[in-house]
Amino acid sequence: MNTFELKDVAFSYSPDIQIFDGLDLSFDSRTTAIVGQNGAGKTTLVKLMKGLLKPSKGTLLIDGESIAKETAAQLSRRVGLVFQNPNDQIFKTNVLEEVMFGPLNIGMSRSEAEKAAREALQKVDLESKVDDNPYDLSLSERKLIALASILAMDTEMVIFDEPTMGQDFAGKEKIKAIIEELNTEGKLVLCILHDMDFAAEAFERTVVMNQGEIILDGQTRDVFSKKEVLEKAYLEQPYVTQIAHALGYNESFIHESELIAFLNKNA
Amino acid sequence: MNTMTLYVEKDSPVHRLDPLVKLLYVFASIALTYILPEPLFIAGVLFVTLLLLVIGKVFRNSLPILTLSMFLIFSLVIVQGFFHPDNVTELFSIGPLVFYEEGLYVALVLVLRVLVMIGSFSVLILTTSPDEMVERLIKKGMSPRIGHVILSVLQLIPQMRATTSKITDAQRSRGMETEGSMLTRIKAFFPLMGPVVLNSLNETKERSIALEMRGFGSSTKKTFLNEEKQYPYNKLLAGIIIAIVILGIVWRVMV
Repeated sequence: MNTFELKDVAFSYSPDIQIFDGLDLSFDSRTTAIVGQNGAGKTTLVKLMKGLLKPSKGTLLIDGESIAKETAAQLSRRVGLVFQNPNDQIFKTNVLEEVMFGPLNIGMSRSEAEKAAREALQKVDLESKVDDNPYDLSLSERKLIALASILAMDTEMVIFDEPTMGQDFAGKEKIKAIIEELNTEGKLVLCILHDMDFAAEAFERTVVMNQGEIILDGQTRDVFSKKEVLEKAYLEQPYVTQIAHALGYNESFIHESELIAFLNKNA
Repeated sequence: MNTMTLYVEKDSPVHRLDPLVKLLYVFASIALTYILPEPLFIAGVLFVTLLLLVIGKVFRNSLPILTLSMFLIFSLVIVQGFFHPDNVTELFSIGPLVFYEEGLYVALVLVLRVLVMIGSFSVLILTTSPDEMVERLIKKGMSPRIGHVILSVLQLIPQMRATTSKITDAQRSRGMETEGSMLTRIKAFFPLMGPVVLNSLNETKERSIALEMRGFGSSTKKTFLNEEKQYPYNKLLAGIIIAIVILGIVWRVMV
């Protein structure tokens, strides 16, 4: 998959409140973060992309071809979505079976599915827990299992909904590594985030949504330098950017390492 | 969040009545249909009940409930009309089956009684918010635990519906078909029900902890958030209802 496009998309849950009205957006090989306050329409957007919701107007295209006729289950071969709450999907009594559920659904044989599942669990560092009951693990580990269960399906596009919530530093680093790896494999990566620092650190492109509209879209560095527009969407700049600003530097920093290097040079 | 309730929010004299008076009316009207099982008399009670529905501006809302009960009413008439043991006087016949007058009479009493039951329960349910009713009952000495059970059951079903749709989304994202043939639906059952049940159990546990954290189990006397509503004609109305029931009993014994 090279591109995922939304053209003139309109959607609403109830007739009097329009969520999207003529939304145009496209995703390409750049890793993309979507940020915005609660209720901005981020989750609705990815549900539309996943075929879980159908737009009332407009088209969604993968590599220029409309996906209007595909069901969510059919789309799941191509687009993977990692849900926020792992408890909404876990039902097997051991980790390996849980991760194999998706691959088996999209037609892999048992041995292929098991291989894919073990590889995915290795990526999230949970290969030692294959025989455990998922409900004996912690919430952050269950989140990683949910993530692995999508990775195992080997989809061309992976969408994450709030992957960093409830993860400690090590967990976040793991997720960051996975995102980079998916990107080098040539997959499209899209991520809904509330964590500006993580967005700044791990994504090439950032899209800011506010009340169903895109108010900023571009290179992560450029997006996070626009303090006024971010504030309008009730968002903060990443801490590094704020610190640099407080120190009186005009350059925009989005990585800690950049600022440290800059300070060392100028000290 | 919408709860499982038939309550229709409107402003009417019936809405303003004390829930307990309405509850009393439910019991009294049903009791009366047993105390005086005369069609004409029960029809009178039914008339008053329907009048209350009209005054409460909920007559239209009670129609679906009455329609649902038509099945029961219809079968009552058929069974009693054809098969009541006292049947003697023939009304008409379909082939070998004979429909009798006595059975029709018995059926009439039963049908009217059913209508009174449905009608008076509708008065109570359609015009009383569950919150108001439970709070009133707790003030009268019902255990707050029972009150909580009643109210949480009303919330549980819509909540489970919401969880189920979230879980369906999550499993469909993993390539599970939920629509189609019977077999596909059966196969989809466990992946959907597993998380629903586990989530409900978890939620229940967390809810009970949260309630304890806020002192729900404490044995001190509880105060109420809402100011007590004033129900002006409370005692008078309750008195009238009780008087009518007593009059009915006296009438039955004397005549």
